Amino acid sequence: MSLQNILNNWDKYRKGHEAGGHHVYEHMWSMVIDLNKCIGCGACSVACYAENNLAVVGKDRFEKGQAMHWLRIERYWDEPNLKPTASDEFQQHGASFLPMMCQQCNAATCEPVCPVAATYHTPDGLNAQVYNRCIGSRYCSNNCPYRLRYFNFYSFYETSWPEPLNLQLNPDLSVRDKGVMEKCTFCVQRIRTAKDTARREGRKVRDGDVQTACQQSCPTTAIVFGDMLDPESRVTKLWKAHEVELGKTAQHKQHPEKRGYRIFEGLNTDPCVMYLERVREV
Amino acid sequence: MKDINEDIKWAQINADVLRSMETPRLGYWIAVATCVAMIACAVVAEIYQYKHGMGYGLLNWPHMWDIYIATFIFWIGMSHSGTLLSAILHIIHADWRKPIYRFAEAMTTFSLMTAGLFPIIHIGRLWNMYWVLPYVTDRGIWPNFRSPLVWDAFAISTYLTSSALFLYIGMIPDLAICRDNARGWRKKLYIALSLGWRGDDRQWRNFRRTYLLMACFLIPLAVSVHSIVSSDFAMSIMPGWHVTTFPPYFVAGALYSGCAAIITLFVLLRYFFRFEEYMTIAILEKTCKLTFAIAMAWTYLNLIEFASTWYGHDVASKEVLLQKFYGPYAPFFWMMMFCGSVVPFTLAIRKFRRHIPTMFVVSLLLNLGMWLERWMIVTPTLANAYHPIAWDTMWPGMVQWAIVFGSFGWFGLLFLVFVKIFPSVSMYEVKEMVYHRRGHAGKDTEEVLHRPVEGVRATTGRPGLEGA
Amino acid sequence: MSGKEIDRRSFLKVMGWSGAGAATLSGCDLPTTVTIEEGKETVVSYLMPEEYVIPGQGVWYASTCQQCSAACGVHGRVREGRLLKVEGNPSSPIGRGKLCNMGQASLQAHYNPDRLKKPLLRKGAELQEATWEEALKYIEERAGKKSGVQGNRAAWLTGNVSGHQAVLLQAHMDSFGSISHYVHELINTAVSGLANKDVLGEVQPVYHLDKAKAVLSLGADFLGASTSPVHFATQYASFREAPRGVLIQVEPSMSLTGANADLWIPARPGTEGVLAMGIANALIGQHGVSAANLPAGVKQAIDGYGIDRAADITGVPRTQIEAIAKTLKERAPSLVLTGASAEGHAHGYNIAAAALMLNVLLGNVGQTITSSGDPAFPQLAARAGNTRDLFAFAEGADKGAFDVVFMWGTNPVYTAPAFLNFEDKLSKVPVKVAFAMYRDETVAKADVVLPLSSPYESWGTHLAAYNSDEPTVAVQQPLMQPIYPDTKSVGDVLLALLKMREPNTYSAFNDYYAYLRKAFSELPATHKVGGSDDAMWVQSLQRALLAAKGTPKELSAKPVAVDFPAYEKDAAYPMHLAPAARLGMWDGRNANLPWLQEQPDQISKVVWGSWAELHPKTADRLGVKNGDYISVTSAQGSIEVPVYVYRGVHPDVVAVPIGQGHTDYGRYATGRGVNPLKVLSQVTDGKTGELALYATRVKVAKVEKKKPGINELMVRFGGSESQVGRKLVASVTADSFNRTEGA
Repeated sequence: MSLQNILNNWDKYRKGHEAGGHHVYEHMWSMVIDLNKCIGCGACSVACYAENNLAVVGKDRFEKGQAMHWLRIERYWDEPNLKPTASDEFQQHGASFLPMMCQQCNAATCEPVCPVAATYHTPDGLNAQVYNRCIGSRYCSNNCPYRLRYFNFYSFYETSWPEPLNLQLNPDLSVRDKGVMEKCTFCVQRIRTAKDTARREGRKVRDGDVQTACQQSCPTTAIVFGDMLDPESRVTKLWKAHEVELGKTAQHKQHPEKRGYRIFEGLNTDPCVMYLERVREV
Repeated sequence: MKDINEDIKWAQINADVLRSMETPRLGYWIAVATCVAMIACAVVAEIYQYKHGMGYGLLNWPHMWDIYIATFIFWIGMSHSGTLLSAILHIIHADWRKPIYRFAEAMTTFSLMTAGLFPIIHIGRLWNMYWVLPYVTDRGIWPNFRSPLVWDAFAISTYLTSSALFLYIGMIPDLAICRDNARGWRKKLYIALSLGWRGDDRQWRNFRRTYLLMACFLIPLAVSVHSIVSSDFAMSIMPGWHVTTFPPYFVAGALYSGCAAIITLFVLLRYFFRFEEYMTIAILEKTCKLTFAIAMAWTYLNLIEFASTWYGHDVASKEVLLQKFYGPYAPFFWMMMFCGSVVPFTLAIRKFRRHIPTMFVVSLLLNLGMWLERWMIVTPTLANAYHPIAWDTMWPGMVQWAIVFGSFGWFGLLFLVFVKIFPSVSMYEVKEMVYHRRGHAGKDTEEVLHRPVEGVRATTGRPGLEGA
Repeated sequence: MSGKEIDRRSFLKVMGWSGAGAATLSGCDLPTTVTIEEGKETVVSYLMPEEYVIPGQGVWYASTCQQCSAACGVHGRVREGRLLKVEGNPSSPIGRGKLCNMGQASLQAHYNPDRLKKPLLRKGAELQEATWEEALKYIEERAGKKSGVQGNRAAWLTGNVSGHQAVLLQAHMDSFGSISHYVHELINTAVSGLANKDVLGEVQPVYHLDKAKAVLSLGADFLGASTSPVHFATQYASFREAPRGVLIQVEPSMSLTGANADLWIPARPGTEGVLAMGIANALIGQHGVSAANLPAGVKQAIDGYGIDRAADITGVPRTQIEAIAKTLKERAPSLVLTGASAEGHAHGYNIAAAALMLNVLLGNVGQTITSSGDPAFPQLAARAGNTRDLFAFAEGADKGAFDVVFMWGTNPVYTAPAFLNFEDKLSKVPVKVAFAMYRDETVAKADVVLPLSSPYESWGTHLAAYNSDEPTVAVQQPLMQPIYPDTKSVGDVLLALLKMREPNTYSAFNDYYAYLRKAFSELPATHKVGGSDDAMWVQSLQRALLAAKGTPKELSAKPVAVDFPAYEKDAAYPMHLAPAARLGMWDGRNANLPWLQEQPDQISKVVWGSWAELHPKTADRLGVKNGDYISVTSAQGSIEVPVYVYRGVHPDVVAVPIGQGHTDYGRYATGRGVNPLKVLSQVTDGKTGELALYATRVKVAKVEKKKPGINELMVRFGGSESQVGRKLVASVTADSFNRTEGA
C-alpha cells in the first residue's frame, strides 16, 4: 500500500477498505439469521460458551458489566416499525429477540484502530483476533458500533473452571488470560478443521462442512452459515434471494419487501451477517 | 503598570533566582512527602491492577476506556502551555513571557512525562507496550500504522523529546550562571550540563539560532500532537467522538488548561519563592487575558460541536449529546460548562484578575473544568453509543481514582525536584527583558550595564554581566 | 439361560421387551467388562494410542441427553478421552440434530465440581464418606432378601423414568411385591394427560405444530419448559415458514412461547377455560361451526358462556375473543394447547378439557392431533411424573407406611410446597436411600447416598416422555470413562440392588452393560435392524436409537362437559402468584450449572438470581421500580424478591420464576434467590389431585432494603430495553412474507 498506489487508486480506498477486498479471498464466511424463526431461547449462546471456552464470570462481575458472552441474545420490547405500543396496556406483540455475534465486517471499524494489528482481516473474510499479539488497548471494542468485543478484565481461568470443569475446555482454541480482547470467531477452529479435512481429501470445502456451534445447536435452524464465494451455498442463495449485497451502505432492492438487512449498514462497516426481518401478524 | 521593574539590578536577578534553588526548607519536604504519598497510592493501585487485571478499576463493557484516557488527554493538554509561552510568544516577540516561560516549559515536559504513563497503565498487557513502536524484528511484524494510537506513540515521544530538548537548550546560559555559583555536586552537574557555556558572541549567535529553530519546530509539533490525540476519537466512528472539529477543539482545550495551570504555578512560585519582582501582577494580567481569549475560543468550538451535532441530525450523536445534557453524567457535564465557559469571565474583570487568591482558585476551577471536559468526551460516548443494549452508566472504581490521583503527585514531585535543581525563572531572558525595557524607556544602557551592584557577591566576568 | 417357552416369556420381561411380539433367543458371549470401546479396559498412554484414537482429533459418539425427559439424541465430541462438546444427533426424531441450552449445559452437569465422589453414610447427624461395600451392606441389611421388608413398605420416589432402568426398577419393586412407585416431576402433563385420556382416549397424543396454521396456546410454553422443548421448537420452525402460521398465547405472565406469539393475551388467571368456551361460542354463533359432534351437555355448557360473559369473566375484550375465533376458523387446521399456567388451577382439568373440546369443534383431532399409537415396548415406556404422587408418598411416609425408600432423579425437598411439610414426613421413613450425582436438599436428608456416574459415563435406554410420530428407544452410551472411579451408573446400582433381591436372575449380569447387551440381542425380531446381533448393536450405538414404532391407532373424540366456578376475588390476598418454569433452570435442577446461571433469562434478562415480574400498573401502585424489593406473601408464607417491571404480565399477577432458592445444592446454586414453590397454597386440581401451581393467592408489598449486597442485587443484562428507533430487529407483515417467500 504505497502512497503512489493510494493516490492512483483512491477510488478503491475511498470507503476505508479496498473495494473487493485487499485479499484474494479464499472464502467469505457469512451468516444469515432468520428472526422469523429465532425464539430467543439462548441455546446458541450456551453452545458458544461450550465451544469457545468462554469464561463464566459470576454474578459480581456480571453486575459490573464484565460478562464474556460472544453471542448474546438481545431482547427488546419495542420495534421501530411497529406502532408505538407505549400506550398499550400489554406487551401484546411479544418480544423482539436479536442474537448478536461478531458481524465479521469486511470494512471492520475495529481493524484500523488496533495499534499492533492484533485484529485483521483474514483471506477467509474473517475478522481475526490474534490473542498473542493483543496488548489490550481496547480501542477496537470502543470502535465497534455493535459492541461485540469482550475484554479479559481478569484472569478468568482462575475462577471460571474449578476442577473438573476444566476438563471440558476445548483444546482446539486457547483459554485467554487477562488483558486481551476476544470476540466471536465464527468458530474458526471448526473452519480450520474443515479446511484441513478438505485439503487432505483433495477437494474444496463443501457447503455444510463447517457448522458453527450456534448454528448447530439452534433448535429452529434460524442460523445459516456458509461461504459467500461458493455460488451454490445456502448463504449465497439467501443473500441473493433477499437482495442484499456486500460492499454497500444501503440496499436498493427491487422488491423492498424482501426481508434481508444488515445492522448499521449505513455506517459502512459492511457486515457479513445478514438478518432476516421478523414476521408479524398485524 | 509595568510588566517588570526596569530598575532591577542584574545581580539581583541572579541572586533572587539562585536563592530559589537553595537548600529546601521544611515546607518543601512536606510537599515532597505529600507527592510521594500520592505516588505510593497510585503504585499500590497499579500493582494490584497489574496482578489481577483491569477489571478492578471497574472498567467494563462498554466502558473500555475511562478516566485513564481522560487524564491522559488532560496531561497532554497541559503540556501545550509551555510551547505556547516559549515558542509562540517567542516568535511573536511578546517579551512579557520571559519571566514565566521557564517553569511553563518544565511543566510541558513533566506533564508529558505524566501523560505518557497513562497509555502504559491503561493497556491490558503493559509488558508488551513496546509493540506499538516500529522496531525491527526478524519476524517482520510492524505496528498498525493506520491506528491513531500508533500516531500517538510517535507524536508523544517526539513531542516529549523536543520539548525536553527545548527546555534544556533554553536553560544553558542559566545553567552557566548556576555553575558559576554552585559548589559540590551541583557544581559538577552544572559543569556538565552547561556544555562549556562562556557567553561569547559565537555561542550566543548559535544559541539564538538553535532556540528559534526549535521554537519553529515545536509549534507545529504541539499543534499536531493534540490533533493526533484528538484523532483517537475523531478517527473512530463513535457518535460524539467522530467530530470534524475535534483537532482545533482539542488544541484550544489544551492551550486553555495549560494556561490555567500556568496561572496556578505562577501564583505558587510567586508566593513560595517570593518572585514578586519577576512574576508581576501585570504579567499575571496578560496571562489571564490570554487565557480568557483561549477560553472563549474553546467555548465557541464547544458550541459549534453541539450545533453541528444538532443540525447534523445523526440520531446516535444526538442521543449522546442529549445524554450529556440530562443523562447520568449531566452534573459533570454542566460543571464542565460552568468551569470552562462561565468561570473564565472572572478573567475578564480587572479587579479579579489582579486579585491573586481569586486567580488561584479560578485557575484550579478552570483545570477542573478541563479535566471534566476530557472525561465528558470519553465516557458519555461509551455510555450511549450505537447499540442500545450496551448502554451503561459506569463510575470509575478506586483503582482508577488512585492512579489518577497519584499522577498529580508524580507531576508535583517532578516539578518540585526541578525547581530546586534548575532555575525556574530564566535569568538571562529577564535580564534581556529589563535591558530592552530600559532601552525602550530611553535610558543610557551603557550606564545601566556598568552600574555597580552592592551587596551581591561578585562572580566572574565583567561587572554587571555576571554570568550572562 | 434356558430357552424354555415358559421361561422365555418371563425372560423377555426381565429384558424389558415383553408385550412386543414374538422373539427368538440366541446365545451369545457376554463381554465381562467394557469401557467406552467395547472390550477395552486397559488404560493406554497416547504414545501408543489405539488405532481409532488420533490425538488432536475429536471423535463423535452418539448418546442421549438426560437434562429433561425429552430424551433428545446427542453427539458427544470426545478427544483424548475427554468429552468436550455435545451437539444434537441428527438421526434423533426428537431433537433432529438440535439441542437446547440445558442440553448444551449437560456438559457442566457431567463435569460439575460439586459431584459426589464417594458413597455417603449417615453417621449421626452427618453424612460421611464410606465405601461401596459399606453402603451396599447397609442397604442389604435393611432392604435385602433377609431384611424382611415386604410389599408396599419398600417405596421408590423418582423422577421420570423409562427404558431398561424402568424395567429393572420395576423388577426391584416386584421383588418386594411393592407397587409403591411414586414418580414426581414438577413440570408435568398430568392434568392435560387425564383430560386427553378422557376426551381422546390417549394420555399423550402427538401434536403437529408444523401442520397447524393457527395455534391457540392456553399457557402452553411448548418452546420453553415443556415435555419436549427442542422437538416443539423444530416444529415451530416449520410452522413459521410461509404460509406462516399464527400463534396466539393466553397466559398470566409471558413465557418464552408468549414472547414469540403474534398476539399475547393475559387472561385473568384460571379463566382460560371460560375463554375457550367463549371462543367456542363465537365459533358456533358467528362462524357457523357445526356443534354436531359435541355431546349435548357440552353444547349446553358452551351456550352458558356467551362472548360477553366470557369477556367479562376473563378480562379479555370481546373483540379479541371474536378475533381469535375468526383466526382459528379461517386458518385451519388449527391446534389448541394447554400448559401449566392454565392447568395449574383447582379446575385445571376442566380448562384442559375445554381446550380439547375446542380442538374437537375445530376438527383438529386427526389433523394436528393424532394418536401416538400403542407403544411398541410398554415395559420401557416412560413413567411420567406428577405432583399427586408426591402427596401420596408424603402421606404414606407420614403414616409410617414405608420401611425403606429409594430416591433418585427428583428433589422433592426442594420442590415440595411448604404446606406439605415434606421434610418432616420424609424423616419418618427409617431408611432413605438416595442415588445422586450431586448433594441436593433431598440427598442431604438421606441415610445412605450412592454416587451416580453422569449420564455421559453410563449405559441406559430411554423412552421420551413425549413421543413424536416416530417413537424411538433412545440409547445412552458412555462417552468417556467415569471421572470419579467410585461412581456407578443408575443401571449398575439397580442391578446391585436386584442382586440383593433376585440373585438367581440377575447374578448372570456382571454389569449393566452386560444386561443391556443381552437385552438387545433378545430384541424381538420385528424390531431388529442390521442383520446380526452385533451389527444391530453397533448400529444402535452409532445412531443411539432404535426405532420403536408402535401399532397405529385412531383417536376418539368425546368432549366431556365441564363448567367453571365463578371467578372470586380474595380481599386479603388480591394477587395471583405465577411460579413460572423456564427453559434453563427448569424445576431448579439446573441451578448448579454456571452456564445456565450466567445465561440471562429469556424474558427478564436477569442472571444469577430470582426476580418477580410485575405489570407497570401494579408497580406504580406499590411504588416500586426495577430492582426494588417486594414481599410476596401467601397464607403459607412469604418471600422477598426484587422486581422486574414490564408489560408482559397481568396486572393482578406477580410472577416469580422457579429454579432458585436452593439451600443445599453446591457452590453455584446454594443461597441464591428464592423458591416460590415454598409459599404455594394447598390447592389441588379437583379431578386429578395435582398440585395447582398457579392457584396461589398472594399479597404484595414494597420492602425497603438498605443497600443490598451482591447476593440480593438483581443483575440484568442489557442497557436499553428499547431499540430507540434504530433498526436492530425489524419486521415485515405476514402478508408480505407469504407473498415474497411463499411457495
